[in-house]
Amino acid sequence: MYSKLESNTIRNKLVIKAVRNIRRGGQKEDAEKGMYRPEIKLDLQRSILLTESYRATEGLPMVLRRAKALEHILTRMDIYIQSWERIVGNNVAVPQGLYFGIDMNWRSVRRIVDQPEGRTLLDAEGRRKLDELITYWKGKSMSDIQQQVFTGEVLDYWKMSKGAAGSWSHWSELGIPNYEKVFKVGLRGLIQEAKGRLAEIDHTVPPDYVDQKEFLQALIIALEAVIAYAHRYAHLAEQQAVAAQEPFHKERLETIARICRKVPEHPPQTLAEALQSFFFIHVVRYLEYSTLGIGVRFDKVFGPYYENDLKNGRISREEALTLLQLLWVKFHELGLIYSPTLSAVYGGVASLQAITLGGVDSDGKPVVNEMTYLVLETAERMRTPEPTIAIRYHDRLPRELLAKAVDVIRTGIGYPSFFNDKALLPMLAGWDVPLETARDYAVSGCVYIELPGKNIARRALGGLNLPLALWYALTQGVNTFNGEQVGACTPDPLTFSCLDDLMAAYLTQVRFFTNRLCTIQNISNSLYEKYLPRPFYSALLDGCIESGRDCRKWGYPSTVSDFCVVLGPTNVSDAMAAVGKNVFEDKTVTMAQLLKAMAANWEGHEDVRRRMINAPKYGNDHAYADAIAAQVQHRTAAAIMESKNRFGFPCRGDGSGISATYAAGAIVPATPEGRKSGEPLADATLSPVFGMDQEGPTAVLKSAANISAAKSFNHLLNQKFPPQALSGENKERFIDYLRAWGELGISQIQFNVVDRATLLEAQQQPEKHPDLLVRVAGYSAYFVDLSKGLQDSIIARTEQDFP
Amino acid sequence: MTTSGIVFNLQRFSLHDGPGIRTTVFLKGCPLNCAWCANPESQSPRPQLMTRDIKCCGCGACAKACPEGAVQLEVGKVRRILWEQCTHCFRCVAACLYGALAAVGQTMTVEAVLDIVKKDQVFYDQSGGGLTLSGGEPLTQPTFARELLKGAKATGLHTVMDTTGHAPPTVLESILPFVDLTLYDIKHLDPQRHRRATGVDNQLILQNLKRTANQTRTWLRIPLLHGYNDTPEHMEGLARLVKELNIEKISLLPYHEGGLSKCRQIGQTPLDFMAQSPSEAHLAHLMEIMTRHGVRAAIGA
Ligand code: SF4
Ligand code: SF4
Repeated sequence: MYSKLESNTIRNKLVIKAVRNIRRGGQKEDAEKGMYRPEIKLDLQRSILLTESYRATEGLPMVLRRAKALEHILTRMDIYIQSWERIVGNNVAVPQGLYFGIDMNWRSVRRIVDQPEGRTLLDAEGRRKLDELITYWKGKSMSDIQQQVFTGEVLDYWKMSKGAAGSWSHWSELGIPNYEKVFKVGLRGLIQEAKGRLAEIDHTVPPDYVDQKEFLQALIIALEAVIAYAHRYAHLAEQQAVAAQEPFHKERLETIARICRKVPEHPPQTLAEALQSFFFIHVVRYLEYSTLGIGVRFDKVFGPYYENDLKNGRISREEALTLLQLLWVKFHELGLIYSPTLSAVYGGVASLQAITLGGVDSDGKPVVNEMTYLVLETAERMRTPEPTIAIRYHDRLPRELLAKAVDVIRTGIGYPSFFNDKALLPMLAGWDVPLETARDYAVSGCVYIELPGKNIARRALGGLNLPLALWYALTQGVNTFNGEQVGACTPDPLTFSCLDDLMAAYLTQVRFFTNRLCTIQNISNSLYEKYLPRPFYSALLDGCIESGRDCRKWGYPSTVSDFCVVLGPTNVSDAMAAVGKNVFEDKTVTMAQLLKAMAANWEGHEDVRRRMINAPKYGNDHAYADAIAAQVQHRTAAAIMESKNRFGFPCRGDGSGISATYAAGAIVPATPEGRKSGEPLADATLSPVFGMDQEGPTAVLKSAANISAAKSFNHLLNQKFPPQALSGENKERFIDYLRAWGELGISQIQFNVVDRATLLEAQQQPEKHPDLLVRVAGYSAYFVDLSKGLQDSIIARTEQDFP
Repeated sequence: MTTSGIVFNLQRFSLHDGPGIRTTVFLKGCPLNCAWCANPESQSPRPQLMTRDIKCCGCGACAKACPEGAVQLEVGKVRRILWEQCTHCFRCVAACLYGALAAVGQTMTVEAVLDIVKKDQVFYDQSGGGLTLSGGEPLTQPTFARELLKGAKATGLHTVMDTTGHAPPTVLESILPFVDLTLYDIKHLDPQRHRRATGVDNQLILQNLKRTANQTRTWLRIPLLHGYNDTPEHMEGLARLVKELNIEKISLLPYHEGGLSKCRQIGQTPLDFMAQSPSEAHLAHLMEIMTRHGVRAAIGA
């Protein structure tokens, strides 16, 4: 027996650490709800230990300081094992704690704990302690360092002070370790490898000998610390086992102790060992540096352990399910404090964790095993916002698996989402990723496409607000509200004689803003390399030990590495189509009239607005609108790719909008497609603008199929269906629909399955629907934790009815 | 010469008009005049004006455009159509920027219709779907209907025809060769009752049913009106008919009120007929009867 808990009881153990949006788009009533649920506290232990270690290691090389700091934290941070746990570990000292990266930025956190929306996060003693820590970090946190290093224009754009169409913001990293290798050799094996490399450079003495030596020494310190950390859990479990009265608990704790003595130091042999090894690595990765996402190909990596256990009678299906559910609870103990600004982007997110199922192996053979089904069943039982599940679709996935997936989608939790190998493998090929490697791609969070084990220290370099770029193309780059030149100085729109003129001006703005973003990102990456090396994470990636270089010093040689989140391309498409049709083709509206109407936010110009709205729209399988949409998307992507990262590889766009499409809309004035100032943008890079798709769900897919991932990037497409569309006889049709989506080669699709009436009721009476999950962007969140505005925009998504 | 006809709606992603994912093409015009008609705008063979009052902002552009003075305006209110004066010229439709006026019924060529139908080929391939021809009554536009079905067959599409069966046998015979499956509507087996609620006799319909069932796969479709055709006796009769003619399946379609508001939107007053849908319990009972006779039956599909 694995647990005394029924599925539902396990669900009760969930800790909800989702952040609420209290900024752009957030409203007063949102702030009153607080930034987090009241039981959630800011955990200062990591900050305290980090500071102690930093104080003690002044003057040492940075990579060693970071390793020693990690060691200091792992050996001293409080650890706990709750009475139901079988998989242990966390990146904070208490289950309700929030991770805080004081080494990155403390200002916004300092501010938030004094404000009503964050007051519950710390008590008076905590606030005093925080102030004491800050006296050390003043001038030393990454944000402080950036402030000192950025100058002139770069500083302006970094601060986002001018209403630019590009906003640099993110600092949490994603990325996927090479779990398969780590499981094969254990951390001990990695240490041996590092020692081997050390011995080697003592012979060869390469030009960067000192750097390599310090890095490898740091890496060994970090790995030994992780092993010791696991042993602390073993020790705690042994102590608790001695004290345990019930045989059930005694056995449970002894098992934990045995497993923690073995992994992650040595290769795991059983499913329980593999999951524990994985989870230790997962939480330490989060501890070393502010991190989000998971990305592991769960069935590919863990399936063989489960099947082996089954074969040897070591586990039953039900026990495996329990183990997974307990792991799911642990995933929920990972949360971090967001800055108020980021709360607008990550509204409803805890740690943006996603796992991947399906797809193919390196030979191209389908990956589907018992674990694939177990994970789906776990999701169905747990109905939690994280981890979301990404299924890599191809036409050899069994219909039975799709049927199971549809059952999970029907619960309304917003996942699994589907990623199309037919679109994404060619996209990766276009980015020079070798086929064998591309076949291993996975999704770590939202729609972030990653290559497990490859050095893609994935961080979104910011958001590119395309409708705002278009707006600047109509103002010659001037912020007309304060007269400042913010964007590129493009020609006067009154001189435009065809749609191409507008397109050219828009693309110039896209280039301009991407370039600013990329500059900030490249400088930041240089700073991260100097101040925030990651010896532990580097050990888990291919190529770092071998070359003796920290992951920050180089990058996987492909465009896959650096991206910016693209917001509102379909708004731009509709705007272009409306201008093309009304201004240049039918000449029913002049450019001057349009500009005047937009400047007045359409007030007194409703006739002009109607004409813009009535123009052909993307999402209706309409040749004119779709051709323009394809042009906008492909040319925007090409313009973005003109900016390069530090290693000379093109930056690219990405469909991960998080909830930013809502927040981003708040700062965009009226746009030509008829949108009013402040209204949200379309909710994803392939989604039609709210309410503009009138021809049903097949037409949406046909439109979306015109946009090629290979010519742009990985996208996101939200579709909303009522629950009955996935039930009874309709279920088979829904699977057919999904398979047609696959045939059409669209890069992604996900479903919000909840009826309008329920959403409206949940908005009015949140207490009746505390557990209602909805798909926001590439993740799911509790509806009641979202801001009023974001709730409204989810309600507004066109529901695809089943006639 | 390209054949054309009058289409009043093209519905993509239809799931309940035959197998798989389908596109249903609704032809305008119907010889029956069922009191409960769900699509009253389908009955007249000619294009006609239809209003959508919730979208009207009272701007008055339609009134300016109307050559007949058929639009009445009151400041700040929804415009009113004086239906007796309307000639269905649709100038107001072109003038309205708010989508508050529409022309129901468009003349379209066979090619134009098939071009739209073919857009969802990938969905038909996955689901075994195709084209469904419905109405109104598709057989009121026999040449157009035949050319559409023939054209669809020529491109390998699966074809379904949804018909009331009220058409000259020669017309029916000329079309059936291009139909894979017929959805055949029966309102009532009793001639009197049939005439009372639909305005026509059912003899021709029942004779045509035999012809159809001999030549194509056939499913019966019964619009269920409580107190009119949902008695157990009537169901027994239908079940026997299904057995006798080797019909594959019977679909029970409970009445819904959609037709009432549409009547007002085209300037008609609904006929005096107390239509009601059967209760869930009663439906279950009717399904039982079908099962007892060994008839495959479904509600709503
Ligand atoms: S033009 Fe349209 S919106 Fe204006 S009054 Fe006429 S029907 Fe209403
Ligand atoms: S259809 Fe013609 S006649 Fe009828 S209301 Fe409109 S403009 Fe007037």
